[in-house]
Amino acid sequence: MMRRRIFLSLFFALSCFGPALGEEDLVSGVSQDLIQITSNYTGSDIVVFGDVERQEKAAGRDIVVVVRGPDAALTVRRRDRVAGVWINHDAATLSGMPAFYYLASSRPLAQIAPQAAALARYGIGVANLQPDTVHAHHEVEPFRQAALRLMGDQGLYREAPLGVEFLSETLFRAHVPVPAGVTRGQYDVEVFLLRGGNVVSAQSTPLFIDQTGLERRLYNWAHDQPFGYGLATVVMALVMGWLSSVIFRRPA
Amino acid sequence: MEIYLPVAEMSVHWLVILGMGLGVGFLSGLFGVGGGFLLTPLLVFYGIPSTVAVATTLSHITASSISGALAQWRKRAIDFTMAGVMLSGGIIGTVFGVWLFAVMRRAGQMDLMVSLSYVVLLGAVGSLMLNESWVALRTARAGGPPPVHPVNHVWIHGLPLRLRFRQSRLYISVIPPILIGFVTGALSAIMGIGGGFIIVPAMIYLLRMPTNVVIGTSLVQIIGITTLTTLLQATSNYAVDIVLAATLIAGGVVGAQFGVRVGGRLGGERIRFLMALLVLAVFLRLLWGLVMPPGDLYALTLGT
Repeated sequence: MMRRRIFLSLFFALSCFGPALGEEDLVSGVSQDLIQITSNYTGSDIVVFGDVERQEKAAGRDIVVVVRGPDAALTVRRRDRVAGVWINHDAATLSGMPAFYYLASSRPLAQIAPQAAALARYGIGVANLQPDTVHAHHEVEPFRQAALRLMGDQGLYREAPLGVEFLSETLFRAHVPVPAGVTRGQYDVEVFLLRGGNVVSAQSTPLFIDQTGLERRLYNWAHDQPFGYGLATVVMALVMGWLSSVIFRRPA
Repeated sequence: MEIYLPVAEMSVHWLVILGMGLGVGFLSGLFGVGGGFLLTPLLVFYGIPSTVAVATTLSHITASSISGALAQWRKRAIDFTMAGVMLSGGIIGTVFGVWLFAVMRRAGQMDLMVSLSYVVLLGAVGSLMLNESWVALRTARAGGPPPVHPVNHVWIHGLPLRLRFRQSRLYISVIPPILIGFVTGALSAIMGIGGGFIIVPAMIYLLRMPTNVVIGTSLVQIIGITTLTTLLQATSNYAVDIVLAATLIAGGVVGAQFGVRVGGRLGGERIRFLMALLVLAVFLRLLWGLVMPPGDLYALTLGT
C-alpha cells in the first residue's frame, strides 16, 4: 500500500509538472469538489469527465476512474460456536483501507490487463486493495477477502466494468454514485489512462464530503459538549412527555 | 422521506422510526412499562448500531415515564424516600454498567453481551409472568378469590441499617432497595431498558410495598436512572442521537395515550398474560439469533 502510495504520488507529481513526460496527455475534471450531507441526503451522483489527446492513437487505450474515500481501519470479526452460542472470536484490524472505493472502467479489468499482477502493482481494482498494516494473530487473507465482500454488500466497494463511456474518440465521461452511508472526509478522484495494461498517464483531484447545516452542528455539539448535549436530550424528553400528558389529559 | 441521524451517521426513513415509537408507546401504555426491552431490539433489527440504540432508547423511556409519574404525584402515591434510596444504588449500578458497556465495545463483544442479557432476563421474567397470570386467569374464571402470594422473605427483615419508609408503611433495611437499584441501573446502561418489569415485581414480592405506591415510586426511580444513563452515555460513549430520540418520543407519547385507553378496558390478568406472551416472543427471536448458525460468519465494523 505504501509502495503504491509513493508510486502514485510520484506519478501524479510528474504528470502535473511535466505534461510532456506522459506519452499521452490526459485532462480530466469532476462535476463538483464538495458534497454536503444534509438532513434529506439520500446519496448523489458525481460526474467525472475528461479528454485524451492524440486522436490518431485512440485504439487500444483504456480509461479507469477511481473514487476512493478517506483511509479507515476495518475490523473484521469471525464468529465461532462457543458453548452452543455463536460469538465473535477471531478478529483482524486492517488499517489504511479506503472507506469508499468506486471504480469505473471503459472495459472489464480482465480485458484491460490480462495479467492480474499488472493492476495489482498500481492497486487498481477492489481485489487489489491492500491494508497498510494489519493487527491479527492469524492468517489475514480470509479476513481481507471478507472485508472486501462485506464492503461490497454495503455498496461501499464497487466496480462498474463499463462505467466509462466515450462520447467521441477522445472525450470520456463516468457517473459515480455516492451512496447515503458514506464517511465524511477527503476523497480522491483518480483517472488513469492505460495502454496494454500499463498506466501511461494519471490525474488526481480531491473531493470533499462533509455534513452541513443542522446535522453538522448537532454532531459537533454531541462531541464538543457531550454533557450539555445529553442534558438537552433529557430535558427534551421530559418536556415532550409532560406536554403529551397535558394535551391528552382526559376532561375530568 | 429520509432523515439523517447525525450521531448514528446514517439515513433512516422517518415514518419507520415514528411508527416504531408509536407501536412501542402503545404497548407501553397498555402494559404500564417503559417498553425499552422492545424498542432496543427493534432498532437493532432495523440497522441502528446497537450502541446508539441502547443509549437513545433511554430518553424514549424518560419521556413515556414522566406523564405517569406526574399523575401518580398528583395522587400522592410516590414514596420519595424509597425512590431516593433505590436511586443511590442505581447511580453506582449505572456507572458500573456504562463502564462495562465501554469495555465490551472495545472487545467487540457488545452485541453478544446485549443479546445474552436479553435472552436470560426476558426468558426468566417471561416464563414467571406467564405462569403467574395463567394461574390468576384460571382462578378469576373459576370465581375464586385471587391467590395469596405465600412468599415470606424473613431474611430481608433480619438485615441491618433499617430505615422507616413512611409512605410505604415499612421499616426495613436499606440494603435490598439499594441492591435492586444497582441491578436495574446496570441493566439500564447495558440493555437500554428502564427496568420497570424488574423493579415492580421486586417491590411487590421482595420489599412487600403496598401496590398503590409501587407504580409511582418505580416511575421516579426509572426517570432518575434513564436520565443519568443518558448523560453518561452521551459523555463517555457519544452514543445518544438527539434526532432519533425526538422522532421516537413524538411517536411514543401519542401511542402511549391510546395504549392507556385500551388497557383500561382489559383486565389486569389478561394484560399480564398478553405481555408475558410478548416478552417470550422477543426472547425466542433473540435466542434464535444466538444459537442458529449465522448466515455470514464474518462481521465488519469501521474503526478499531
